Amino acid sequence: MPIPTLAEKLQWLKPAPATPHEIECAAKLRQGDYEIGVQITNDILDEAMEIFVRSSRSYFGVSGDSMVAIFTAGGDLINASCGTYLHAIIQPIVIKFILKYYSENPGIHDGDIWYTNDALYGGIHNPDQVALMPVFHDGKLLAWASAALHTTETGAIEPGGMPVSAKSRFEEGLNLPPIKIGENFKLRNDFLEFYAVYGLRAPAMFISDLRARCTTTDRVRARLLELVEKRGPDYLVGLIRKMQDTAEAGARQKVKSLPDGKFRAVVFNDAIGWTPALVRSCFLTLTKKGEKITFDFAGTSPENPSSYNVHTQAVVGHIANFMYEYIFHDLPICSSTFAPIDFEFPEGIILNPGKLAATSCCVFIGMQARNATHNAFAKMVFSSEKFWHQVAAAPGSQHTSQICAGLSQWNLAVSDVLSFSLNTQGQGGRSGTDGMDSYGFAWCAFGRAPDSEQVESELPLSVMLSQHWRDSCGHGVHRGGSGAVQQWMIHKMPNMVSMCMGNGSKVPIGQPLFGGYASSPIPGISIRKADLLKQMKEGNPDLVMDHRTIIEKGTIHGDWKFELVARTPKVYEEGDLLFGFSGGGPGYGDPLERDPESVMDDLKKKIISDWTAQNIYKIAYDPERRKVDIEKTRQQRQEERKARLARGKSYDDFQQEWAKKSPPKEALLYYGTWPDAKPTGPVFRP
Amino acid sequence: MASEQPSRIRVTEYLDLDIDREKWLCNRCNFEIGPARESYKKGCLLHDRDPREVHPPLVSGDFSFSPDPLWVRIVEFYCPGCGAQVETEYLPPGHPLTWDIEIDLDSLKERLRAGEFKIRKQRLEVSE
Repeated sequence: MPIPTLAEKLQWLKPAPATPHEIECAAKLRQGDYEIGVQITNDILDEAMEIFVRSSRSYFGVSGDSMVAIFTAGGDLINASCGTYLHAIIQPIVIKFILKYYSENPGIHDGDIWYTNDALYGGIHNPDQVALMPVFHDGKLLAWASAALHTTETGAIEPGGMPVSAKSRFEEGLNLPPIKIGENFKLRNDFLEFYAVYGLRAPAMFISDLRARCTTTDRVRARLLELVEKRGPDYLVGLIRKMQDTAEAGARQKVKSLPDGKFRAVVFNDAIGWTPALVRSCFLTLTKKGEKITFDFAGTSPENPSSYNVHTQAVVGHIANFMYEYIFHDLPICSSTFAPIDFEFPEGIILNPGKLAATSCCVFIGMQARNATHNAFAKMVFSSEKFWHQVAAAPGSQHTSQICAGLSQWNLAVSDVLSFSLNTQGQGGRSGTDGMDSYGFAWCAFGRAPDSEQVESELPLSVMLSQHWRDSCGHGVHRGGSGAVQQWMIHKMPNMVSMCMGNGSKVPIGQPLFGGYASSPIPGISIRKADLLKQMKEGNPDLVMDHRTIIEKGTIHGDWKFELVARTPKVYEEGDLLFGFSGGGPGYGDPLERDPESVMDDLKKKIISDWTAQNIYKIAYDPERRKVDIEKTRQQRQEERKARLARGKSYDDFQQEWAKKSPPKEALLYYGTWPDAKPTGPVFRP
Repeated sequence: MASEQPSRIRVTEYLDLDIDREKWLCNRCNFEIGPARESYKKGCLLHDRDPREVHPPLVSGDFSFSPDPLWVRIVEFYCPGCGAQVETEYLPPGHPLTWDIEIDLDSLKERLRAGEFKIRKQRLEVSE
């Protein structure tokens, strides 16, 4: 079986060298041809993305967690509209696989529609599915187009597309290696039937999203052909070549401008499936030398028998999200921007598991590779005049991934994830300013929170409150952006099945930067037999719909439960309540340096509590008028600095005590050997 | 604040590197933290902080909005000169501290000498 090896995947990430014909075509471009051509590709992709969002059905699609892209005939990415950058650099693996193994049988023809969602063959995880079409002109393959989108159902052993309890790929539902699903511009009915049966929990969404991918891809193909008809095929070939060359030159120039050295970061995860468990989810050594950067993940915890593993290219996808948001933000989204970047993945780590591994919840671990990249890059680029202002702590990435399945009030089968608590995470604190509050989805910078009324219409629940989650942000001179909280009530139907994926209940996810603090952990919270509706019907004047008041004072009565955020599927009855949280961003810099007036502003906006203003930021103020006592604040902060000097130990003294400590043994079930995280034995999978 | 020196660059918000002298310095008080070929953390004061002091529990029980102090600690690194909080690491208790910054000083000096870089406002600027 030609399952791509790690070496093949890493090789296919690299752009192919220019051919003499491409160079000749690029040389023929006249003044302005390139600039106009780039903009035309942007316009084609943006138009297609608009179609994609409007024709998708799942909340991820509606939220824009998608990508539309154009590739060379050989499969290298040349431009994309995002959405998410997750797929950007890695989809060439899929096209190069098709070109290598399927050119003869079944053959690649005009009007083909190809499809895949299998991470073993180059995807992220199986809810992320992509349609691809070759672009032929006069019988010659000129380019490829694609549309990728996360659909929240795969027919797995649990609803929602990311089965937490899957122990191997065989429990993940649909895992489809690259396959031709349409010919002569038509989808095959036999494939549609095969496909639809995997989506029986939510057939309308499942099939609509498939068609949306195909429609979008075909629009890109059609628009590219219009361009070719107008300007000739050599123009497109030359334009594509020059876009790649320009992107690569830009990336190399950026990399070269940074100081050489090694930069390291380590992050931890606190759950494997439903089990609370510590793993060193990414140990990153970034080596910068000349025009090269190498990511080495040696030291990361071993793979495990759950769906919390990540195939290598999916790790690269998470890193692409960071690179395009912060470092390559002004370059085309193009394979050649990653030409100066290499990756080293030791075998058998959680970031490079075996072929049988389940990876449907890979994003929780993959995100931590991104988080480590934030910190390692911050320390590499802060000295650079060009890049220091791009330094930012990782985004908030712990969240409540609440899956809902059952019948809607319209009696339609539904299975989807509540995207509000994904798409409202806080950005990490930045070198020049705070992280943005509820800036978006750490996996998809351009995602947006879905409309609450649409959610209420399509799912058997009502949204009772949507607020910034007070004290969710990491504190610092530039605090992280605030996360958010929603409260959902099962409503209009007698019951609903719900489960939750996630992490970050025991250990904050994402390290802070330069003396800041991390963001707050999140528990899973439910209230069964809640009396909220009763209180509302009775018009209780004391009912305050503020999340902190409700949680801390228990003002809604019922059977409260605080547990790990990842929760097994359970039936909830009408009137039961669930809380969903999106993580705040970690903080940047020493909180004692934060401008007191900014702290007052945070209080006014209910981003932080009085406790935090007084105990973390050490502000003296009149709580009623929120007027800062400047002199007393200065004194309090000076006293805290003195207290630090008094309690701080020298490195050697600290190490003497510290080295004797370790977490409880039960926490290290999946960690590997302590503390160096080496495998303790083979992983057995059903 | 730190004075302008031609061989001094900022490496983090609180950490400067004196390239000629190969020293880590505090950006806020100029305290000489230690040799730049070693981790700056060796020259800091360190404190093992209970994470509940920074992220206080809102409710009782194991899942309280507060990190589990048996699973994770906040290691705070202070400048011994002024008490600035130079860095923090959230680590399981006993986990080795991260040597996070290992700048290739020889390369940096060579690139400065060759005119590839110049230092302006304590940052590395690529010469045109």
